[in-house]
Amino acid sequence: MGDSHVTGDLADYRAELRAWLDANRERLAPRFPPPGTLDDHVAQMQRVKSILFDAGWMQLGWPERVGGRGGSPMLRTELGAALAARELVDSGLFSLVEVLAPTLIDFASPELAADVVPRLLSGAELWCQGFSEPESGSDLASLRCRAVPEGGDPRSAAKWVISGQKVWTSLAQFADRCVLLTRTGPADSRHRGITAFFVDMNSPGITVAPLEMLNGEHEFAEVFFDDVVVSADRMLGALNGGWAVAMSILPYERSSCFWQRIAFLYRRLERLVEIAPNDDRAAEIVGDAYVQLYALRARSRATQHRLADTGTIGAETSIDKVLVATAEQVTYDAVRRLVPGLIELDDSAAGEVWRGEYLYSRAATIYGGTAEVQRNIIARRLLELGSDE
Amino acid sequence: MIGAGERAAMEQTVRGAIANALATAGARADIDAVLTKLGWLDMLDGEPDSAVDIVFGALGAADATATALDDVVAAALGHKPRADLAVLLPRFATWNPPGRIDAGDVHAQGLATGRAATAAELLVVCGAESEPGSVIVPATAAETEAVRGVDPAAGLRAVRVHGRASGATRLDPIAWQSALALGRRAVARQIAGASRAMLDLARTHAMERVQFGRPIARFQAVRHRLAEALVAVEALEAALTAAQEDPNSDTAALAKAIAGRTAHTVARHCQQVLAGIGFTAEHSFHRFLKRALALEGLFGSADAIVLDVGRRLLAARRVPTLIEL
Repeated sequence: MGDSHVTGDLADYRAELRAWLDANRERLAPRFPPPGTLDDHVAQMQRVKSILFDAGWMQLGWPERVGGRGGSPMLRTELGAALAARELVDSGLFSLVEVLAPTLIDFASPELAADVVPRLLSGAELWCQGFSEPESGSDLASLRCRAVPEGGDPRSAAKWVISGQKVWTSLAQFADRCVLLTRTGPADSRHRGITAFFVDMNSPGITVAPLEMLNGEHEFAEVFFDDVVVSADRMLGALNGGWAVAMSILPYERSSCFWQRIAFLYRRLERLVEIAPNDDRAAEIVGDAYVQLYALRARSRATQHRLADTGTIGAETSIDKVLVATAEQVTYDAVRRLVPGLIELDDSAAGEVWRGEYLYSRAATIYGGTAEVQRNIIARRLLELGSDE
Repeated sequence: MIGAGERAAMEQTVRGAIANALATAGARADIDAVLTKLGWLDMLDGEPDSAVDIVFGALGAADATATALDDVVAAALGHKPRADLAVLLPRFATWNPPGRIDAGDVHAQGLATGRAATAAELLVVCGAESEPGSVIVPATAAETEAVRGVDPAAGLRAVRVHGRASGATRLDPIAWQSALALGRRAVARQIAGASRAMLDLARTHAMERVQFGRPIARFQAVRHRLAEALVAVEALEAALTAAQEDPNSDTAALAKAIAGRTAHTVARHCQQVLAGIGFTAEHSFHRFLKRALALEGLFGSADAIVLDVGRRLLAARRVPTLIEL
């Protein structure tokens, strides 16, 4: 693979990438029969990352100072989308890199970022994100998990001590590290008193209790912090600057992650048209899902080019979020409507896969900011309707 | 392709000129004359993509009536557009060529813009979608009748043609596909303009209308309806941008389908927010609602296009991504 892709044409890169993936299909393919457990999917993702890292693909689109090879972030978006379209990795798991690595690159010390980001990219490590708490879901700024400076002075402390609880922490039981939001200001300091830390998950005092989801998997967990000690040089961003860390994730979540999800949904719709009846009712339902997916794809493409051109995207991506959640649910509703019994009764491997995905799709309007929170943001920030109080 | 700055300036000029004409002459404003003065036919000749986007977006936003669609279709079919050449459009909600040639005679039935009332000649596309031909017939061969319908101001006409098919020419199927695609983009862009206008009206009303001691824009139920409308409008605009960046039959058809769905969604939410005032003739909302209903049927309704798209997906058992990063 040549270095021309760092500066070259995206279409050329896409073609070479796809050819390479097709040529290495056997090596990259999952080693387990579908549907596979979460452990199977995590192991597959790490194995694929390792192969891609060795071949040099995984480093494209990431800065050189963290072991990357430079180039537009769209290079890595193309990679994730191509993997999703070939069903080589779980797109939701794979795209977690997009919400974790940029945080370290933008907010960790250069030494720390250079040390740990390559481990994430190569599949040597897996990280999680400790944001939500039992009492802090949509209202993230109310979080309470506390970090206290050892010795009492936050400016000179060499260590911090963390106590509290997180919940809905995806992959916590597999994770080597956690990007953790903590309360460092007064209890009522809201977004002004939050600080982010990069915590080793094998630190004494951390307990992980996986939660069973409605599809039977244990993708997320409760995480308990009981006087967990973390070095001050693991602080991400400024003291009480954690809100900026949390918000900085949005541009990547709302561009690259979504494009990968869209690629996955196109592939699933293709699987549906392979098994759907060929009649006009099916044509209407499939056509409708396709039209919604296409509108989302058009919107998401414009968003990524705006990010690439201007370096920033903001509240307008709440529109992308509403579209992706709606399109995902419409796609799986189409499956349920066109193949009766597939989701409800079918105990074959294919039935297990569709059922798991159908149930998971119900969360699309909940995770990453609920559909209602997105509409609140659209109303206030984009339509400028003023305060709702 | 013209740059973003130049395009924005052109858009402002076109919208300003149309607004002026409407402010001066109201519903009797001659928008075709305004477009002619702005150099519409030169724009269409030089930069068809931008010209169509700018002019039809402006027509939709202002609820203005023009016959520029005839020029778009005629030019795409290889005819020099002129004010005395009208075009027979497919019947409402469909997109098959509106005519057929039978033993040297042309028989056709379809819709036309107001131009068909005065034009000297009518351009009629005949035959199957895969093997079309075109013929220009004198206006005397056409019976045309004004359609009042839901939106009399749209100026649509119902047209029947029976005449000799002298001078019929074979038409490259690609030319009909291109004309259909550009026509769909024009109408979809006009619907997008009307949709955003409906949202602007509803937003203004929500900010001004006070109930229970506060503007109704403060109520989450109202805010979420307007947010839904904005999501739909923005998705449509993205589909139109994609249809311009990747111009082909598929992206144009999808843009037209999304336009129909969007107008329906936006009208439903905005009408509910506008409530009583939106049901009066004095408030302008109803004009956009009615125009969107009339436009929805040109070159295929959303339902008809969605059905066609779905049939093709099922036949091919493939789901093309169509556009790439």
